[in-house]
Amino acid sequence: MKIPMQWIKEYADIPVTAAEYQDAMIMHGTALEDYEEQGKDVQNVVVGRILSVRPHENSDHMVVCQIDVGEEKPLQIVTGAPNVKKGDLVPVAKAGAVLPGGKVIKKGVLRGVESCGMCCSGPELGVPEYLYPSVGDKGLLVFHEDYAPGTDVRPILGIDQTVVNFEILANRPDCLSVWGIGRETAASLGTAFCKPEIAVQTVPGRMEDYVKIDVTDPELCPRYCARVVTNVRIAPSPMWLRKRLHAAGVRSINNVVDITNYVMLETGHPMHAFDLAKVKDHHVIVRRALEGETITTLDGKERALTTDMLMIADQTNATGIAGVMGGEESEITEETKDVMFEIAAFDRTNIRLTTRALGLRTEASGRFERGVNAATCREAADRACQLINLLNAGDVIEDVYDFYPCPKKAQAISASVERINRRTGVAVSGEEMKRILESLDMQAELDGDTLTVQAPAEREDIENEADISEEVLRMYGYDKIKPTQLRGETVPGKRNGHMKVSDKISRILVGKGAYEIRTFSFFGPKELEKLGLPVADRRNDAIRIRNPLGEDTSIMRTTLVPNMLETLALNQNRNNETALLYEIAPVFEKDGESELPHERPILCIGGFGKDVDFFCVRDIVLDILRQFGIEAGLKRSAEAYLHPGRAAALFAGDDVIAQIGEVHPAVAANFELNKKSVVAEVDLEKVYACRSDMQHIRPVWNFPPVKRDIALVMDERVMVGAIEDLIRREGGELLEKAEVFDIYRGAPMLPGMKSVAFSLTFRSMERTLADDDVNPLMKKILSACLSDFGAALRE
Amino acid sequence: MDIQEQLKKIQDEAASQISRIRDKSALEDARMRILGKKGELTMLLRSMGQVPPEERPKVGQMINAVREKVTAQLEALEQEVKKAETAKQLEKETIDITEPRPHVTAGSMHPISLVLDQILQVFTGMGFDVVEGPEVELDHFNFELMNIPKNHPARDAQDTFYINDNTVLRTHTSPVQARTMLSRKPPIRIVSPGRVFRADEVDATHSPVFHQIEGLVIDKDVTMADLKGTLDAFAKALYGEGVTTRFRPSFFPFTEPSAEVDLTCVNCHGKGCRVCKDTGWIEVLGAGMVNPKVLEMCGIDSKVYKGFAFGVGLERIAMLRYGITDMRLLYEGDIRFLEQFRED
Repeated sequence: MKIPMQWIKEYADIPVTAAEYQDAMIMHGTALEDYEEQGKDVQNVVVGRILSVRPHENSDHMVVCQIDVGEEKPLQIVTGAPNVKKGDLVPVAKAGAVLPGGKVIKKGVLRGVESCGMCCSGPELGVPEYLYPSVGDKGLLVFHEDYAPGTDVRPILGIDQTVVNFEILANRPDCLSVWGIGRETAASLGTAFCKPEIAVQTVPGRMEDYVKIDVTDPELCPRYCARVVTNVRIAPSPMWLRKRLHAAGVRSINNVVDITNYVMLETGHPMHAFDLAKVKDHHVIVRRALEGETITTLDGKERALTTDMLMIADQTNATGIAGVMGGEESEITEETKDVMFEIAAFDRTNIRLTTRALGLRTEASGRFERGVNAATCREAADRACQLINLLNAGDVIEDVYDFYPCPKKAQAISASVERINRRTGVAVSGEEMKRILESLDMQAELDGDTLTVQAPAEREDIENEADISEEVLRMYGYDKIKPTQLRGETVPGKRNGHMKVSDKISRILVGKGAYEIRTFSFFGPKELEKLGLPVADRRNDAIRIRNPLGEDTSIMRTTLVPNMLETLALNQNRNNETALLYEIAPVFEKDGESELPHERPILCIGGFGKDVDFFCVRDIVLDILRQFGIEAGLKRSAEAYLHPGRAAALFAGDDVIAQIGEVHPAVAANFELNKKSVVAEVDLEKVYACRSDMQHIRPVWNFPPVKRDIALVMDERVMVGAIEDLIRREGGELLEKAEVFDIYRGAPMLPGMKSVAFSLTFRSMERTLADDDVNPLMKKILSACLSDFGAALRE
Repeated sequence: MDIQEQLKKIQDEAASQISRIRDKSALEDARMRILGKKGELTMLLRSMGQVPPEERPKVGQMINAVREKVTAQLEALEQEVKKAETAKQLEKETIDITEPRPHVTAGSMHPISLVLDQILQVFTGMGFDVVEGPEVELDHFNFELMNIPKNHPARDAQDTFYINDNTVLRTHTSPVQARTMLSRKPPIRIVSPGRVFRADEVDATHSPVFHQIEGLVIDKDVTMADLKGTLDAFAKALYGEGVTTRFRPSFFPFTEPSAEVDLTCVNCHGKGCRVCKDTGWIEVLGAGMVNPKVLEMCGIDSKVYKGFAFGVGLERIAMLRYGITDMRLLYEGDIRFLEQFRED
């Protein structure tokens, strides 16, 4: 919200610089984004009187003027403006002047004639027509009052304000007003806040002679205040008012409309002005919309209404949406004679729901949504009438309509000085607290430890002792809080179990050269489709976001694979040669009747490039599982997005704990992966469930081992893992280790055959083994290999 | 030549021979020539028959003395030769220590994880437990229990993704606080890290998915000064002793009093620079004393207990810590970006 400092100063003194003001306000709780000195944009521009005008010898559209700028000698200025007239007063930018946009004016020669400055138009000075009415963009701005040449043009044109840009906190709608800010300013700077004395000069008259008002829904409209001005004299507003509105970002229209905007900015109360001649039957009804009713709003749209919406209506039609938008018919025009000001309070939740439902937001609705105080409606109405008096814009009639069936009672809050100090951790005396609260326009009584506080009606955010403590602390100074250490028992904190699992996995993966990525928790149906999952796959049943940013971020992910493949593709696209990446994050599964989805933690690994293949990722995953005491079994995977011949499902018991494989070529093409890529998903919930603590450590056996190497020839389709398992089973307790050390394909073996060499280590923990111990075991192993897999000893 | 002269000659010659020996075989030759079965000293000993018996003990002693001396000289020489040969061998085995070899380079955790880990270390050290909660959350926990009722304007500050009327993508990790207060008895000291969501388009400083860590302390005697002490300790642990906090009044529906917390600019140490827009401070945290309404809604007697809470955006911490200026780098996963990180 923009407010000129000069306006605030009218009600609260600011004896410091703008920069100091900014600091003080921020440190005492009024956020202030920045401030702008309007005058900085326009420098060294003065009033000049055109003494003479002669044609330019080398141009048919330019003229050469002698202009008195209050200096010893007139300035010679060349201009192409169409409205140059001897004797006029115009703004003159002298050499060295600055204009909006940082433009600097220099002495120059225009077609051979020296020009020592520039005569300016309104737009060139950043002065809109409504701020200083002249000729607009049709030529030089011409002053219509008499000023001494050389006078600074900024105060004349209304561009001499220091505009402060406040960021009002959500709990302080009262500060969306000059008075609210004034109150904070005075308390923050230790000056006094003085609202104007509000007195209205009236002419006799009764409301019902002008208008009949019926409020039918006191719940949605707790207060409706109306005053009538007759003999309205529509005219432009005076400069002081125009420039304040302009600085606050509001366009000046005419005196009556400007007063409504001015009062809104000053008091925070949105106002509406009706031209009573155009109110049908002079009857205003505040009621809920009827079933099936519609209204055409100022933007020309016909809008369907619901019975939850509050309308301003005449006897037949709704003419405006209460608190949101007025009706076009009753707008103020040059011909308006009788005006009714409406200053009402509407239920903020209802206004919010209405604006949401209609997709219609206005300055007024924004204020009503945040909260407009019912208690101060009358004051605002009177202030508007006072301004009517001041501007001589009409005659205010004496009678007032004020529907306020349940006036808000001011609530006294009882607070303990000691408890406040024990909350804030500072030591402020009861007297000091009283002083601070009074500086904020609150009434405060101190009785021993007890403070009894009554906040002004506008401060609806003050409800309890905690609120009082904040008021005290922020004015006393947050910077006076001396840090202290927490007391009480200090047991070291713990990370939770799932986090310990993912931390450990992270460390293992980092050791193996992987880099962690973090991608978004949502993707689009298209990304999911690219995996080619079967229609019935659960992962296709993703949770939809009702209001996503876009289709590609519209569903919660049910698998981490698409984002991983996209990340791999990005790296390939950017010619990164190798990448081994992982992500640990939940996937979201619909969970029966439960309102919340099941969030299953998943580890996803993906990679491509040198040394990154199926086996590499498989071994990483197996290693991780082993680190949790899980010995997983391998089976071929049936995951649709994996290469059917190069993918494994890892089992812990009967449960699939991981899927690993080369990306299916069709899926790779969908994701624009041009290098062979591997991806794995590990179900960390299962890892968490299946993990076992470390067992007792075995002693180290010192009896010598017996080693036997064998090479077995077998069909290519026999899986090495199966043979390994068999050897381990047949080798029994004495077989300490069975390791594959070579796999050979080629002559002299037939195609489709392979030779797998194992190194077997036998050892007893009780004695030195003899050949006689090992030979029968070897025989048993070999015969089992032959009978179960047709794997024969290679001669 | 009498036997003494011969002895003298043998001794002198041995000394001069030994001084010239450089390798093992010459050494062995010398040993054989002097001390061997047919060596000069051995032969001399054998000629003892010609020495008159009364002189034999004396001559014998002389010969033995020379023998010992030569043996010692040879042994010393042998040590030297061995050393030289080892040195030669080592020299031969020298490798080019800069030659590259295939190997696995350690990777790294994500910068968000790195700063989170550091922060968790600080807070677990101060006795905070780490608690996590769901990312898809009930409106009740995310908003209602945080004193942000339905249709309250405070909801505007947090552009929320909705699944349905009752379910949202959590806009902060505060619902974890609510869940904890409802399930644990005070005293409570927890931090809750995690992903949070706001309907913001992606740009250099915004992302619809980002990370937060929030802390909550509930006890009988907790003050705003304790909050400042805790956050000071956190700031120093993360950025060094020279860093302090500055509290500014603010508003959050779930705390009262509330504060925006600035840290001494980590870039210029408070002198003023581009990063802190010449203020010397950077806004990093939101914090405050837990609103008694929140305590009551979460089943904690606000007359007996008080608490403080704070929240930090991890992206902000990571970006300041590592000088990252574009948030998008954090989520796109370019390996050239990720490769630059390592644990502190």
